[in-house]
Amino acid sequence: MSSVTQIAPTPVAPVVTRPRSRRRLHKAGWNALALAVLLVMVFPVYWMVSTAFKPGHDILSYTPQWFPAHPTLSNFTDAMHQQFFWDAVKNSLIVVSIVVALSLVLAFLAALALAKFNFYGRGPFIVIILGVQMVPLAALIIPLYIMMSRLGQVDKLSGVIVMYLTFVLPFAVWTLRGFLLGVPKELEESAMVDGTTRFGAFVRILLPLVGPGLVATSIFAFIQAWNEFIIAYVFLHTPEKQTLMVWLASFTTLRGTDWGPLMAGATLCSLPVIVFFLLVQRRIAFGLTAGAVKG
Amino acid sequence: MAEIRFVDVSKVYGGGHAPAVRDLNLEVGEGEFVVLVGPSGCGKTTALRMVAGLEEISAGEIRIGDRVVNELAPRDRDIAMVFQNYALYPHKTVYENLAFGLRMRKVPKAEQRQRVEEIARVLGLGEMLNRRPAHLSGGQRQRVAMGRAIVREPKAFLMDEPLSNLDAKLRVQMRAEIARIQQTLKVTTLYVTHDQVEAMTMGDRVAVMRDGLLQQVDTPQRLYDAPGNLFVASFVGSPPMNLFEAELDRDGSRLVVGSSHVDLPRDVTAERPGLRAYAGRRLAVGIRPEEVREASGWDGARLRGRILLVEALGAEQLVHIQIAATPLERADLVDAAGQPPGPSLGVEDLERSVTLLGRFDRHLLLSPDEAVEVAIDPRLLHLFDLETGLAIPTVDVPVAAGVVA
Repeated sequence: MSSVTQIAPTPVAPVVTRPRSRRRLHKAGWNALALAVLLVMVFPVYWMVSTAFKPGHDILSYTPQWFPAHPTLSNFTDAMHQQFFWDAVKNSLIVVSIVVALSLVLAFLAALALAKFNFYGRGPFIVIILGVQMVPLAALIIPLYIMMSRLGQVDKLSGVIVMYLTFVLPFAVWTLRGFLLGVPKELEESAMVDGTTRFGAFVRILLPLVGPGLVATSIFAFIQAWNEFIIAYVFLHTPEKQTLMVWLASFTTLRGTDWGPLMAGATLCSLPVIVFFLLVQRRIAFGLTAGAVKG
Repeated sequence: MAEIRFVDVSKVYGGGHAPAVRDLNLEVGEGEFVVLVGPSGCGKTTALRMVAGLEEISAGEIRIGDRVVNELAPRDRDIAMVFQNYALYPHKTVYENLAFGLRMRKVPKAEQRQRVEEIARVLGLGEMLNRRPAHLSGGQRQRVAMGRAIVREPKAFLMDEPLSNLDAKLRVQMRAEIARIQQTLKVTTLYVTHDQVEAMTMGDRVAVMRDGLLQQVDTPQRLYDAPGNLFVASFVGSPPMNLFEAELDRDGSRLVVGSSHVDLPRDVTAERPGLRAYAGRRLAVGIRPEEVREASGWDGARLRGRILLVEALGAEQLVHIQIAATPLERADLVDAAGQPPGPSLGVEDLERSVTLLGRFDRHLLLSPDEAVEVAIDPRLLHLFDLETGLAIPTVDVPVAAGVVA
């Protein structure tokens, strides 16, 4: 008996370990939740890609095929030989590159004005920029259609480009303004004293420092312009003028949906966004201004 | 190298603000180290930025060497500036930061390298040339900022509170280092600070500013010994000068301080011919803490007081002594010199008592609430006009250089 009392654990030990194990359980719970969310997000993408590789009878079988048992590339060739595919690719690339380029230039200059210069009405202007983003697109699309048709911009890529710019610019201006505000004005002043012109200070000091902001903005503009469907669908009627997203919808007809080529087309359409992101994401090195001034 | 000269320079910002700088006349001689000092918002930084060309000049002209630079772009003024927050280019390495000014001035590559490496060696940055500013300590960043200015070999250095972001120990170290570098290079330097200790220790001459007006320019010692007005008297010196009101009696030979009096010897009155006009009037009296002495063993006028507080500083002790006198109430005094009311004073006492600060020998045994007698040498008193705040001129300092009421 006495030996039992000797080896009995002191009551301190379980008190210490219990919260620790509970914390571990707590953590595991959150991890499980995160995993569930991840699955929900990733599964459609997986399903799109895997369906793209399945032959037609596998796609429509009543028992779901989790992996493409008989992988085939025929859906891809079908999609690429579908009418207007290359027109749509060309149109999408034109729209996206112009929107990205124009939004970067315009937003950067606008943000520069908002961040570095003091002018009458600057405060309200900044608020309004944020405000216009609150208006739902569905409420605007009919008035916009009427306006653009009066301007002869319906069924033209230029019309869609202008429309996209109006939606991309507020966000881009807002983001870039934040980046510009993060660069202390002494850096430009120091460059000017060191021998650059005002423009030189802008090019050599300010521009490299807001690089990450420009990258973030361009990614946003690219995704917006590439993925947009409603405006393109409403404004572009002629098949030769449609963008890729509208072209994808053409797989759904009154007689049904051609799932295999549609999924192959969707997979092809996602590729440029992923490639673009992989190309530029390394440039998003936030905190580049760290160490400029005593923080 | 060249001198910097302000001629009637003013700076007015829009929107009906009071001018930031008013009719500034100041000369920084060739190779001279002049410190602009004053409380925040006094216009000292604005004055410096006008020299750099980062701020437009509203009126007057600024010359660097024999050129009027009012309309010149910063890059054409051939000056180098050290900013309060260093303003290092974060996307460039230390080497690129140091070489930037040389590159902009199209100095040949080989010479760039040689000059940058030389400066880096002198400043102890040799190992860090490939690092980015983010990977440097505060002191190292400070050195890079200094190096960037030095390597250019400009006509003049402009420094805007370059030490205020350093911790106290490093600040003392860099203070000496900057002063040493300036003495070695003999480059004309205009240095802005709000810290009067920095001003006193570094400058060949010190210019005190307040509310956009230059108050007094002189060597640190003369500024300390003969402050031209009450503001300078209360700003320069740490701990600050004791200031209180006193009345000069009818025949102008003694000061009445509270219930005591201080006899003014003949040489004191003879030295200040203007003092006669103040007979029977009140004036402001100042005395430095080190001239307030415990009475035993000293001649001079005696003032009776009570010890409020003893601060032991190691080498000496700072003693707060409450005496009967009228406190000075003027807006132009620096806060530090304002009189904190004693802890146990009634309202009527408050009107008529002043806390004198004394720097006493550490061996004196003093404790709070003890009665004490202090001796004051009337020859060491500073006398000021109560209305204008100006020092009452003495024969050898008729009117202190560039003093403003």
